[in-house]
Amino acid sequence: MSRFGRQTVVGTFLLLLASAGVVIAHRRWSEELPNYAYLSGWVLMAVMILLALYNMRKRLPFLSLGSSEAWLQIHVYAGFFTVILFLAHLKFRMPTGWFEGALAWLYILVTGSGIVGLFLSRVLPRRLATRGGEVIYEKIPALRNALRQEAETLVLAGGPQVIANFYTENLHDFFRRPKYFWPHLLDSRRPLNAIVTELDELRRYLNEAERTTLEKLADLVRRKDGLDYHHALQVTLKLWLFVHLPLTYSLMIFSVLHIIIVFAFSGGAR
Amino acid sequence: MPPTPSIVERPQRWDVAFDPAMTDADVDRLMATPPFSNMPVEKFPKRTPLREILRNDTSIRRYRKGEIIVRQGDYGTSAFLILSGATRVVLKPDLPPSLLGRQAPSKKGFFRTLAQLWSERRPPESFRRKDLRHDSGLGARRDEDENVRVFLQDLPRVLDKHRTEEMTAGDFFGEIAALSRMPRTSTIFTASDEAELLEIRWQGLRDLMRSSDELRKHIDRIYRERALASYLRATPIFRHLSKEQLADLATQVQFASYGDYDWSGDYKRLAKAGSMRPEKEPVIVQEGDYPNGVVLLRAGFARVSQKFGSGERTLNYIGAGQLFGFDEIAHNFQKPQDPVPYQHTLRAIGYTHLLIVPTRVMEQLVLPTLSQKELSRFANGRDGAPPPSAPQPSATPIAADTLEFLTANRFFNGTATMVIDLDRCTRCDDCVRACASTHDNNPRFLRHGPSSGRLMVANACMHCADPVCMIGCPTGAIHRESFAGQVVINPATCIGCKACANNCPYEAIRMVEIRDEGGEFIMGEDLRPILKATKCDLCVESWGGPACERACPHGALERMNLNDLESLADWMKR
Repeated sequence: MSRFGRQTVVGTFLLLLASAGVVIAHRRWSEELPNYAYLSGWVLMAVMILLALYNMRKRLPFLSLGSSEAWLQIHVYAGFFTVILFLAHLKFRMPTGWFEGALAWLYILVTGSGIVGLFLSRVLPRRLATRGGEVIYEKIPALRNALRQEAETLVLAGGPQVIANFYTENLHDFFRRPKYFWPHLLDSRRPLNAIVTELDELRRYLNEAERTTLEKLADLVRRKDGLDYHHALQVTLKLWLFVHLPLTYSLMIFSVLHIIIVFAFSGGAR
Repeated sequence: MPPTPSIVERPQRWDVAFDPAMTDADVDRLMATPPFSNMPVEKFPKRTPLREILRNDTSIRRYRKGEIIVRQGDYGTSAFLILSGATRVVLKPDLPPSLLGRQAPSKKGFFRTLAQLWSERRPPESFRRKDLRHDSGLGARRDEDENVRVFLQDLPRVLDKHRTEEMTAGDFFGEIAALSRMPRTSTIFTASDEAELLEIRWQGLRDLMRSSDELRKHIDRIYRERALASYLRATPIFRHLSKEQLADLATQVQFASYGDYDWSGDYKRLAKAGSMRPEKEPVIVQEGDYPNGVVLLRAGFARVSQKFGSGERTLNYIGAGQLFGFDEIAHNFQKPQDPVPYQHTLRAIGYTHLLIVPTRVMEQLVLPTLSQKELSRFANGRDGAPPPSAPQPSATPIAADTLEFLTANRFFNGTATMVIDLDRCTRCDDCVRACASTHDNNPRFLRHGPSSGRLMVANACMHCADPVCMIGCPTGAIHRESFAGQVVINPATCIGCKACANNCPYEAIRMVEIRDEGGEFIMGEDLRPILKATKCDLCVESWGGPACERACPHGALERMNLNDLESLADWMKR
């Protein structure tokens, strides 16, 4: 078995074991233990702090705090573990009141965005490696600009009028900015095929030399499409963290407020 | 109209002389000086006469008292003959790293590590004055040709604390390092008020050896005495030989060099021209030939290939310490009725220095001492023994296209190459940020580079087994760290000459204009910015290893010895 496969098996086994432990503890103590809500709450808070510490680890790469890969593994499995802890803390019922509801929704959003991020980080890199070459995200605007200039030089400087008109009407905007975000994210080639088909339609109006210009333009369109593909996927890989992190901070703030409120007003929660 | 080809004068061996300032009078003087005066002029080929070798491949250098001529651990391409004056070789103890222009190996302490929390706010490439201060025992001057000369300030103290031995007119040194691409074994400095030395570049030394029996015997003897005996003792296939047998073996081993010593420049030129073809590499052993010896690679790399259709297919590459031809000779020894020729071709990549143990010597001395188990183990390259010289295509752990990619780009040279699995890399740049954080906000690599399939080799120093960047550093600023062998640069003694950056075939060294702590550029007296060479130092000062590797959340980045294909295969399969 591969190393990653082994990691998944061991991690899943430990997660199931811990989850079973929580369920057994809940059945045994939820009614009998007077401070069960405190216990489950503090355990949940401790695991949430452990999860949040991963971000701190990423900010202190120069300290010898273990590999980020190991931290991420712990983060992922501990994140899944909080689901059962969260439900146990809620005593497997729906939250009540607006504050509890908001807290529950924040938790769901943080966990959901984490799962989406995990899915994206496992799926998108493979796709990035198969199309559009390898591009550094920060260089995409410069590369796009270079492609646009190349296309305009090809089409507008002495090219046939038919191609020039087509470029002005259909491709000017395509070369100017990133296009077709969602089709790229869903791995659809329909927009590219549509442009290439339209370019092919022009062939009948062109002589042999002009067809060469058309082929060069089609090549530039494909390169720009590859660039857009990388832009769409890389921006998604970067942006999901900008959803996950602010939600995490909000959840932590709400959780602290929740603890303060519990201690201030409960007079002994059960 | 067909395009007209550009006609240029065909490049010749001596288009660029080692020292254009060499005059007829200098050459006359050398021709009258031993050992050249004793060399048979008529034995030199017409294309490379002695006189022209001396004119084009040598340079007369004048050193003042205390000036360091060669440093222990440096790589050099030339040997030296003392013409007048005296030099001293440091025997024991070695000079401290600071006196060789190097940083003493050290790890960051707790407080220095913690200080990195706020040091990120420092301007890029900024240095504190104390970072740029070098050992006070070391001085520097520029000679008449504007070359930097480094000298020991307090010579009596050095002589008092270190055992040294004098070398005088007529003595040779540096020839083994020049010919075998090994690091210099000792530091040598000028002991007299003035000394005049003849520096001979390796091409000239090689040609002199070809035509002068005396010089060849001299270097052969020194090589066998100083370098060969210890090497043979440490080679696994000779482990059962007695002292006498090893001594006998040392006298019968042949050594040879293939390829171009200055392969870095050649590689860059060929890579740009897109004409990197295995067929152009010098053949060491030809597939189908009678196996007349086991080849032991001493330095450099060689490509193992096999005929495939009309061309050749790369099966493996082997580096220093590895064997070729053992299995054929072992097979023929065990089954003399069914002899086989060499099964593969071995070609030099760049520069290759090797030893050849003749078949007769193998059969008489070595093979009888090995058990059946050892014979098959050495042939199959298991248990840390050298890898097979005859790998079968099915046994090669890496896909053929990946192997071609690694070989064509010379990546096998890297002992800590940054490889990225593009199927796992989310392009988050945590590795780049970690590198910047660890190096005062200055990233030391680019997360970009050539790729093959899902394997990318990023533009980061690979800490090469054959570090061509270290050839020609005038101050010893670029050096191997003494503990783990990382190639590092001491900013205090780097003079910004760009020799290392120009030499590096992988463009992994960058020249930066440095600033002071306030962010202002630091200028020289000529009001031009001071340059320093920078590159990945493998986080040599940090605990826990390279920050880039530790920072990758997805296990997509690894610093890897690409001369170990098994590890690469395991990593790709993980």
